[in-house]
Amino acid sequence: MNRILCFAVAGLLAGSAAHARVKLVALPERARVVVSLNNPDATLVEEERIITLQKGVNKVDFSWRGVNIDGTSIQVRALSHPNDVKVLNTSYPPNENALVWEISSPAAQEERVRISYLLSGLTREVTYRAVAEPNEKSLALRNYLRLHNNSGEDLTDAEVSVGYGSNFKKTIAHEEVLEMLSERIADLPIRKLLTWDAASQPWDPEYQKNTVGIPLSYVITNDKPSKLGTHTMLPGKVRIFIKTKEQPTREGEQVGEGVAFTGEDWAQLTPVDREMKLFIGQSRDVKVTQRKTKDDKTNIRRNSGNNIVLNDTDEIYKIEIENFKKEPVNLVLVEHVPGYWKMIENSHAAQFKKKDAFTFEYNLTLPAESTGEKKTTVTFNLNRLNVQGNEPASF
Amino acid sequence: MNPVLSAGEKVRKWAGEILPVPTRTLSHLLTCCLAALLVFSVLTPQSAHARINVVTLPDRDTVQLTIYNSADLTLVKETRHLTFKKGINKLEFSWANTLIDPTSVEFRALTHADEVEVQDVSFPPRVANTLEWRINSEFAGDVTVEIRYFTSGISWSADYVCEANRNETQMDFAGAVRVTNNSGEDYENAQVRLVVGVIRLVQEIADLARAGKPGGTPTTLAAQTAPPAAARALRMEAFGAMATADKLAAAQPREIVKEGVSEYFMYTVEGRDTIPNGWSKRMPSFKTDGVPLTSYYKYEKERWGDQVIRFYQFTNSVANKLGKEPLPDGAVKAFRFVSDDLLYAFVGRTSVKYIPINEFVELELGNDLEVSVKPTLMDWQKTDLQFNASGNVIGWTTKETWEIEVQNSKDIAVVVDIRRNFSGDWTLTTQQQYENVDKTKVKFVLPLVPRAKQKFTYELVTRHGTNATR
Repeated sequence: MNRILCFAVAGLLAGSAAHARVKLVALPERARVVVSLNNPDATLVEEERIITLQKGVNKVDFSWRGVNIDGTSIQVRALSHPNDVKVLNTSYPPNENALVWEISSPAAQEERVRISYLLSGLTREVTYRAVAEPNEKSLALRNYLRLHNNSGEDLTDAEVSVGYGSNFKKTIAHEEVLEMLSERIADLPIRKLLTWDAASQPWDPEYQKNTVGIPLSYVITNDKPSKLGTHTMLPGKVRIFIKTKEQPTREGEQVGEGVAFTGEDWAQLTPVDREMKLFIGQSRDVKVTQRKTKDDKTNIRRNSGNNIVLNDTDEIYKIEIENFKKEPVNLVLVEHVPGYWKMIENSHAAQFKKKDAFTFEYNLTLPAESTGEKKTTVTFNLNRLNVQGNEPASF
Repeated sequence: MNPVLSAGEKVRKWAGEILPVPTRTLSHLLTCCLAALLVFSVLTPQSAHARINVVTLPDRDTVQLTIYNSADLTLVKETRHLTFKKGINKLEFSWANTLIDPTSVEFRALTHADEVEVQDVSFPPRVANTLEWRINSEFAGDVTVEIRYFTSGISWSADYVCEANRNETQMDFAGAVRVTNNSGEDYENAQVRLVVGVIRLVQEIADLARAGKPGGTPTTLAAQTAPPAAARALRMEAFGAMATADKLAAAQPREIVKEGVSEYFMYTVEGRDTIPNGWSKRMPSFKTDGVPLTSYYKYEKERWGDQVIRFYQFTNSVANKLGKEPLPDGAVKAFRFVSDDLLYAFVGRTSVKYIPINEFVELELGNDLEVSVKPTLMDWQKTDLQFNASGNVIGWTTKETWEIEVQNSKDIAVVVDIRRNFSGDWTLTTQQQYENVDKTKVKFVLPLVPRAKQKFTYELVTRHGTNATR
């Protein structure tokens, strides 16, 4: 092991103790270690040690080797006698990871000091594991913090603070990876959602060789009713399982409870009150067919060269949706229109929602087994206005 | 005539004759080698070649370092006692393994100044880092002299620690100065003065130092800066010397006296310090508790993308418990107390520019995930089209409706500053209060209570082509 966090105190009153870097008087153990991970860019370590000070000026030597400490960040604070014990100056020897504090004390006494520094190499990762109920109305969510310690330092009985929830007391050695449960939420309500986006899905499945799957998501809202909403949810991998019945393997056994994996996604950074949408797979039991049934140019204006310089459009879209499932399904249809447009007629005005200038959605609930005659049909008629062909489609 | 030196020094006569001398420390001998100073008579004809035999000098009485932070420049002033004879005296000064600018070395007598005059100064051939003064003295006896020169390799910087309270309404603000000595020379028990300000240099001191003599060819940096092994030994000894001096000092941090000089500001560190070659030393400069603070958040897509950036704002004024001095540029680390026993949360680190007295300061401390701003374009229209004689579109007007959602997920109140940039001939309509920063930028400032969400909208009309009037 090529790492040392060395700590030495030398009183200056004895003439021979002047060379503090060599003569170690005490090597105090850490009394407390707090690791703060609040700031995603830096890990702050605060450690407390009890040192014995002599009356007068003491030299306290702090050195490290093989530990990724930002030397410019090291600070010391006196905790027992903060008004009397003073740091006079700090000296940095050449070509060494070390510093020497000169600390004055009005009396020979024990002092609890807190040393703070920024440590690199201690990286964190957030992962989530969720088990959904068979009805897919709720799930149990567990949030894990995974620490990778490549800092060179063994953190023993460290209080780890992530900025929310209570602190953990853990020991994590150099080169160790430690995963700990940081949050557990039972019965977290979820919305199961299929999303058909006109920009990314094929419009007519009949012309596709393979079955067109429709992206399936679970939506979690980071708010109080969902037993969340206390802090921004950090990005990380979410693995979702669903409860299943475990069939007996031998005669006489009861039907047990097990889980099946239903998919995984990367959770996005989700502030309080926002939705976390986890795309976990595809549904093949819902079929969406979108067709444009009218696309006329109107109010055409030409220049002297007889080229069209401006026109409006009259467009009609028809979307037929079949649900082959035995349960109702939530489906979001996402439509995109560039430039300046107006909705003229809309079969599902109550389900219509303009998301931004160039996007609107229909939030539909498809009845169970709504196929054939019972299929859902959405139509809308819109006009695009003052079209020149250079209209924005995003912002 | 034999060398004339102050009493108590080790003396070696010209022809190698050694006189009994008091014992000196290793430290002292090495200092002699690094910056040797010798007075000798010109009456001995072979004196010009005697240089190599010289190992002796009068000790420095005082050393003062004036260190600039804007350039690699330190003004060194040292005083020594010399014994002159009447007539011409020769004085040799050499500085191997240091970064002294030979064109800057100056001599003046502090006592008997009107009787001691420099006739000329010679940089002898085939000898590097050495000069000789020919000094005419009308006085025989002890003279206090000052030798002044520039050296490179000593630098200083300021740094600050900001400890905000839990609500981020106040902070304890502490400044420190850090002096680093890589000059090749140990300046023992020196008075340290630090200059804040920008001075002009037409040539780098380090280049002049490497030249060895005025107009000389620079040698490699390594040859000049790498101290010999002996210098390292000296450094260790010097540290011991510092410790001895310090144990006698009062057990209080040294006061740093601040004064304005022309366009500069000078910090004088109380007492004397030794910063051996290769070492650096950080000393507290000031600490003020309870400085009023504003936690201010800024959003400007063109500058930081989707991120909201946190700033700590304060004013360097007397009303805000500061304002006693300008604050030199330097690194800042900001913490927030998060527990009753004063544990820290690390807020961020940044650097500040030079802060004059009464200047308003913003410390940029990075992204905060718990404050968010989300602008959405909700509607876009193109109207009022104009055509030229050929029937082509030459003018049009767009109308954008924006919705801005601002959210504070923190337990403390914050202020959010949202900047929007518009180009061309635009008109803004909104119920929300705003301020024009300039002709292309507006600023919305929203105070948000803890855990609050706010939405506002604005309409932006922009006239294009011939519709534009500005």
